[in-house]
Amino acid sequence: MSSSRLRLVGGTIYDPANQVDGEARDLCIEDGRIVASLPDGAPTLDVKGMVVMAGGVDIHSHLASSSCNHARRLLPEEHAADPAPRPELTLEELARSGTGGTVPTTFTTGYRYAGLGYTTVFDAAVAPVAARHSHAELDDTPCVDAGIFVLMGNDEYLLRQVAAGERERARDYAAWLLGSAGGYAIKVVNPGGIEAWKSGQRNLSGLDEPLKGRGITARDILETLATAGNEIGLPHPVHIHCNNLGMPGNVDVTLASMRALAGRRAHFTHLQFHSYGGPGWRSAAVPIMEYVNGHPEVSVDVGQVMFGPATTITADGPVEYLLHRSSGRKWLNLDIELETGCGIVPIVYKDKAAVSALQWAIGLELFLLSQDPWRVILSTDHPNGGSFLSYPALIQLLMDRSVRDDRLKQVNPKLLAGSALADGLAREYTLNEIAIITRAGPARLLGLKQKGHLGVGADADVTVYSRDPDIARMFASPRFVLKGGTLIVEEGQLRRAPAGRRLRLAPAYDTALLPDLRGYFDAYSTVSFANYPVQELRDDPLPL
Amino acid sequence: MSSDRRVEHVTCLGCGCTCDDLTVVVSNDRITEVTPACPLGKAWFGDGRVPGQVMSDGKPVALDLAIERLAEALVAARGRCLVYLGTDLTTEAQRAALSVADLVGATVDSETSDTAANGLITAQRRGRAAATLGEVRNRGDVFVFWGVDPRESYPRFLSRYSVEPVGTQVPDGRHGRHVIAVSVGADAALEPADSRIELTADQEIAVLTLIRAAVLGNPAGAKTKTAQAAGIIAEKLMGARYAVLVHDAEPTVEARNPLRAEALIALTQALNGPTRASLVSLRAGGNRVGGEAVLTWQTGYPFAVDFTLGYPRYRPERRGRAGIESDRYQAVLLLGSLPENSPTFAAVSRLRPTVIGPRASQAPFPTSIAIDTGVAGIHDRGTAYRMDEIPLALRSCLAGPRAAADVLQQLSRATHRLLQARVG
Repeated sequence: MSSSRLRLVGGTIYDPANQVDGEARDLCIEDGRIVASLPDGAPTLDVKGMVVMAGGVDIHSHLASSSCNHARRLLPEEHAADPAPRPELTLEELARSGTGGTVPTTFTTGYRYAGLGYTTVFDAAVAPVAARHSHAELDDTPCVDAGIFVLMGNDEYLLRQVAAGERERARDYAAWLLGSAGGYAIKVVNPGGIEAWKSGQRNLSGLDEPLKGRGITARDILETLATAGNEIGLPHPVHIHCNNLGMPGNVDVTLASMRALAGRRAHFTHLQFHSYGGPGWRSAAVPIMEYVNGHPEVSVDVGQVMFGPATTITADGPVEYLLHRSSGRKWLNLDIELETGCGIVPIVYKDKAAVSALQWAIGLELFLLSQDPWRVILSTDHPNGGSFLSYPALIQLLMDRSVRDDRLKQVNPKLLAGSALADGLAREYTLNEIAIITRAGPARLLGLKQKGHLGVGADADVTVYSRDPDIARMFASPRFVLKGGTLIVEEGQLRRAPAGRRLRLAPAYDTALLPDLRGYFDAYSTVSFANYPVQELRDDPLPL
Repeated sequence: MSSDRRVEHVTCLGCGCTCDDLTVVVSNDRITEVTPACPLGKAWFGDGRVPGQVMSDGKPVALDLAIERLAEALVAARGRCLVYLGTDLTTEAQRAALSVADLVGATVDSETSDTAANGLITAQRRGRAAATLGEVRNRGDVFVFWGVDPRESYPRFLSRYSVEPVGTQVPDGRHGRHVIAVSVGADAALEPADSRIELTADQEIAVLTLIRAAVLGNPAGAKTKTAQAAGIIAEKLMGARYAVLVHDAEPTVEARNPLRAEALIALTQALNGPTRASLVSLRAGGNRVGGEAVLTWQTGYPFAVDFTLGYPRYRPERRGRAGIESDRYQAVLLLGSLPENSPTFAAVSRLRPTVIGPRASQAPFPTSIAIDTGVAGIHDRGTAYRMDEIPLALRSCLAGPRAAADVLQQLSRATHRLLQARVG
C-alpha cells in the first residue's frame, strides 16, 4: 500500500509540538505530507486504539562514517553472531542482507531504525576529509532521512584562526567547511584535547589549560565555534562533547563549559559521560541538572548506558587510549590529518561492575531530574552507551518505575550511595513526554520544522504502536511505520525501504577566506583544495 | 591553435598513494602528458585508449542482450557464483557489484585475499595505531622504514606523504626528521637514511619483540646483536615526539614472516604509552582499498565474503586462490582488471569468467561474456580510496566506452527482475 493518500482511522495521537496529548482522531496524509482532511473514499488504515506518533528523530548516533567502518571491520565476531538476511520486502523492492552487532552494516542499520519507528537520524561525528565516505554510506542506508555533524574543535586551520584572534575568519571557515562536507551542524569533540593527544601533550585537563605552543584554550575554541554557529544562523546550535569524557570529577569542566557559553544556544551531548563527581566515582547528576533546568539556552542528550555489549567510537582519541589500557580490550587509534582523531574500543557494560552500574544510574537520573523534556533528549550515543536497538528498553525504564526499581536491585550498588536514583525517584515518563524526548524535542532542537510532529504540512513520517503493558515490547516493534507517506512497516514487518533524504546545509561565507585557505591546503594538505568539497550529493541543501 | 585539453586535480590509482594533484593533457582523444609524472602514474594512465566492445562467446552482441544473458546465467547458478573484484573499479561500481552478489548468493573475493589479508586479520584481532598520510607528513619526527624502500612501488610516498615535505609540526621538513632504515633479509632498506640496521630474516621478530619490551619498560639485558639493534631503535623511537613505522602490506618477492604485521602493530600500540606513534601500511593502487571499505560497510567484512546462505559470512580460511580452485563455482564474474602477476590470475582465468571492466574484450584468456568499460579515474568518474582509507574524487579525463558502475547497476536491476519473475 503506497497510495499518495491515506487516512489513519481511530488512533490515539500524541503530538506534543501541536499540544495534542492522547486525542482519538484521524490523521490524513497526502503526497507525503500531513493534511487537514481528505475527501471521502480516500484509502484508510485502521489504527483503532493504537498509539500514533511522528517518526522518531535520533539527534546523536554513529551510523555512517569512516570511524564506524573502522569499527565494523574490528568486529567480525559480532557480525558472525548476528546475521541479517534480506528482509521480505514487497516484490518490486530490492532488499539487501547484512550483519548486525553493535555496529550494523548500512542497509541493516536503515532497516533496523525503520523497524523501531525512527525515520530521521544524524551521524554526530564526521571528519570532513572523510565526509565523502559518510555520504556514500548514507546512500546505502535506506528508510531514514539523515545528516552528518562536522568535527571542528581540533581543526588545524580553525585553531590557527582562534590563536590569531581571527574570529570572523573562523566563522567563515566553519561555514565553508560545513558546506564542503555536506554537513548539518558543527560538532566539537574534546575541544583542543585531540590536538593535545596528537602533539604529545596527551590531553587538556580543563577549560583553561593552554594548548602547548598555541596559547589557546578549550574555552577559546568553544566560544569561537558557538558564536560562529549562531552567527551563521545554523538551525542546530554547536553540538558539544566536552573535555574529559568519562573521567571522575569531570562535572567541573562540564559545568564550566556550560557557564562559558551562558546566554548562547548550545547543545551538550551524551551528558551522562560528563556528569561524574570526584574524587573517585560518584554521581554529579544533581548539580548538572540544576544548571540545565535553570538555563533555557542549554539543551542536552543523555547518552544513556545500557547493560550489554557496546562499541566506543569517538574522535576523542586520548579517552580511548585510557579505555584500552584499563579494559585490556583491542584498540584502534587513527589520527586524522589536520582535523581530528578517532579511537575505537569494544566493551561490555556489566550490571555487576560498579562503574557501569553508576553510569547507568547517572543517565537515568539526568532523565528523571529533567524539568523540561524538550531540552533533555533520549540517546545512547549509539553504539557507545549501547545500541539504538536498546531504546525501547530505555523507554520502559523511564515509564515504568517498578521495572526500574527491580533492575536497580540487581546492579552493583557500590558506587550508588548518595545517588538520587538510589534514594528513590518516583517519576514515570508519560507517553506525551516520550514523544517529546524521542521526536518532537530533537526535531525542534535540530530546527527541522517538518519533522517530529503531525501538524498540517509536516512530513508524513508516522509511527503507530499497539498498546502493550510491556512498554519495551510496545516500542520495539511498531505495528505500522510511514516514511514520507509510504507505508514501510506493515503489521510489524518491514515491507518497503525507500531511499532517505540527505539533510544538509550550504551556508554563505565571505569568499575573502579562500586565497588564504588555498595556500594553507597547498602547504599542508594531502588532498587538493579543488577535490576537497564533496560534490554531486543526492539532495539539494536545505534553505537556511 | 592547439586542440589540447587539460584536466587538473586528477587522481591517480597507479599505487595506493592515490595522489590527486595530477594534470592530464588530452590531445585527439589520447592522453599525451601526465604531470607530475612518476613511473607508476605514467603506466597507469597510458594513452587512455581502451576498447569498447561487448562480446558473448567471442561474438559482438548488444549490451542489453549481454546483460540479460549474464543475469540469466547468474540466477541459474545461484549459490554457486563467484564475484571477483579486480582492480580499477570505482567505489560506485563496487557497490553495485555487491548488490548483484547479494542477490545471487555469490561468494565475493578480491585481490586483498592473496596479498594484504594477513595484516587486516591481525588488525581485526588487536586493533592498530595508525594515522592518515597527512598526519604522518605533518607530525612524524622519527621514521622507521621496516624492510621497505618505497621508491619503486610508492614513488611519491617520500616526497608527498612522509619525510621530505615541511609539516605543520615539522617546519624543517627532512632536516627535522630522523630516518631509520631497517633491511630484513632480502627486503631492502631505504636509501639514504640517517641510521641503518641490517637484520637477517631470522632476527626480525626477535628484534621487534625486544624493541617492544624496551618500550614497555623492560630493556634487554643481554648483549647480543639483536638486543643491540633493538636497543638502538627503541631509544630513537621513544625519543620521538611522533614516531612513524612504515612497512609494505603488499607481498614482495621475498617470503615474509607472517608474524611481522602483528609484531609491528603491537610495537606501535605500545609506543603510545611513552610517546605517540603510528604504523603506515603501504598498499597498492587500483582502488583495492575502496573495495575493502565497501565490503565492510555492506557486509561487515573486508574480503572473502560468502552470501550463499542469504547473508554475508566471513570465510578468511578459504580466501583467495585456495577458494577459487575449489571448483565450487558455476558462474564466475570478474570485475575490473586482473593483473597478470596477480596470485589468482591463473585460477580465475581457467574458469572462463564473464569479465566486466576495462579491456575485458582483450582478456588473455577465454571469457563467456566480456563487456568493456572505462577505467576508474581515467574515463569513469566516482570515488576511490587512498591506502589510508581517505576517499578521493575521481574525475573523467576522456570519454570511455561505458562506466562500469552503470553496467553493474543495470545488471543488478536485470538480476532482480529475473528473481522477481521466478517468485511471481
